[in-house]
Amino acid sequence: MAKKEYDTFVLSDLASVPEEQEIELIVRDLTPADRRYKYRSTYVIALVSRSESKYPDRLWIRLGRGQLQEKPWSVKILRELDKVPKG
Amino acid sequence: MTHPFYKDNREFIKALEANSELVTIQQEVDWDLEMGAIVRRVCEKKLAAPYFKRIKDYPGFEALGAPLATYSRLAIAMGMNPKAPVPEISDEYVRRTTGNPIPSVLVDPKNAPCKENILSGKDADLFKLPGPMVHDGDGGRYLCTWHFVVAKDPDTGMINWGMYRQMVFDEKTMVGPVLPFSDMGKMFYGKYVPRNKPMPFATVIGCDPLSGVAACAPSPIPEDQFTGMLMGKPVELVKCETCDLEVPAHAEIIIEGEVIPNLWIEEAPFGEYTGYRTSPREPRTVYRIKTITYRNNPIITVSNMGIPTDEGQLLRSFSLGLEMRRLLESQGMPITGVYMLPESTHHIVVVGVRPAYSNIASQIANLIFGSKSSPWFHMVIVVDDQTDIYNKDEIIHALATKCHPMRGIRKYEHAAGTPLYPFADPEDRRWSRSTQILFDCTFPLHWPKSDVPIKVSFNNVYPKEIQEKVLKHWKNYGFKD
Repeated sequence: MAKKEYDTFVLSDLASVPEEQEIELIVRDLTPADRRYKYRSTYVIALVSRSESKYPDRLWIRLGRGQLQEKPWSVKILRELDKVPKG
Repeated sequence: MTHPFYKDNREFIKALEANSELVTIQQEVDWDLEMGAIVRRVCEKKLAAPYFKRIKDYPGFEALGAPLATYSRLAIAMGMNPKAPVPEISDEYVRRTTGNPIPSVLVDPKNAPCKENILSGKDADLFKLPGPMVHDGDGGRYLCTWHFVVAKDPDTGMINWGMYRQMVFDEKTMVGPVLPFSDMGKMFYGKYVPRNKPMPFATVIGCDPLSGVAACAPSPIPEDQFTGMLMGKPVELVKCETCDLEVPAHAEIIIEGEVIPNLWIEEAPFGEYTGYRTSPREPRTVYRIKTITYRNNPIITVSNMGIPTDEGQLLRSFSLGLEMRRLLESQGMPITGVYMLPESTHHIVVVGVRPAYSNIASQIANLIFGSKSSPWFHMVIVVDDQTDIYNKDEIIHALATKCHPMRGIRKYEHAAGTPLYPFADPEDRRWSRSTQILFDCTFPLHWPKSDVPIKVSFNNVYPKEIQEKVLKHWKNYGFKD
């Protein structure tokens, strides 16, 4: 099965992002089954690694003003968080 | 008196086509960057508005790009000659919007095309609309780039229409900046948030062009009534499905919901009106949606902010400048006009004045920088009545030759600004702080007359009869223009 791809914006120093421990982040789905949902954002708890092969899915990194980093990281999404109250 | 106007975006599209200001694109276009790239190039080259007939993944939807990115299109929107010069458009705008506001009228939902389709509950899903990924690197899909948000003051009932960008976060959520000094910011952060009450909102996409012009205008008149003044007749509104708000009946898409107090979600970055991606991704205001209503075969409107000129720059410059003109005229200042250069991304206000007394430029700057709109700009250039305020070359010439590098420049420190100023230090952006500056391009009145430099131009240093003779024979000499 093809890897799923996500991206996230890192607003702090890239070096300060903790690897291999549970962190909260917002990811955007770049490969949804229904293409209309591309870039859908979700709060998740995930494990991330600078190694592209460590976790099952690919995670592209962008900086605060959208600059895409050359090499992707990897990510394992553990669970989605429902932080926005239902209407 | 009714002025020529278009009741909806569809009539406006026909008018653009009739005036060669439209390119209809039958080829399928991808909402993911391709559409944005086309609109961006159109803005940079000042081309006709692109009308997208087929959008990938979204059959039945269409899009109009850069609807009002040129003065020609603004003139068409106002029912004027597309070749009307800017001063003529300005005078017509001021004429129409001076006097009594024209209240809107409410129509039956049966007569409101925006109610042709209603999505509620789980069906009210923002991804069912073709929100474009406008620029590579944006924080999300900006469904709302040429639109307005309707909100109501909970105490006074005063209505506000304003263009507040909105990024799709998930099926039910949009996010965007609502700056505290904006009209909606004062309402939401000043009244709803302290009461911990959600604020009902309605986003209007694909409105008639004059409603869009009104939503950009910094006038104290409620925008629905201001639209009526521009049209010369009441704008037709219809009640929302889920809240006590009213929206233009002929708009293409309406998104209803609530702005949530005390909740912030990361928004941006976004290619902004300054021509940069300046304000960082940050926690911003959250819109939770309830219902979407739309016309059959809806046409979304797409603005692509970036380097000049897009409609945000053009219309904000146009209406902000004219609001400053009203302000100065109301104070009896002997001005010849006010023009805000769209190329300055509405950062530069140019004021022409008959220098009736010393330091009149300072008085003008004090008034302009004291206005409620002043966080949106930081430079005032005051020129004398020998300078054409609409001519960039003349303004640059005046700036370079008449503005003394010491006494001609006055700084206004500790001013309010916006987080969007590219030149501002990061900390100043964070706190919306700025510095403002006056360039006084008038010669001091106390100079002896014999010491005042004489402007050397065709119009100024030749006798009238010589000018007339040369102009009469111009083509005979072999020149075309």
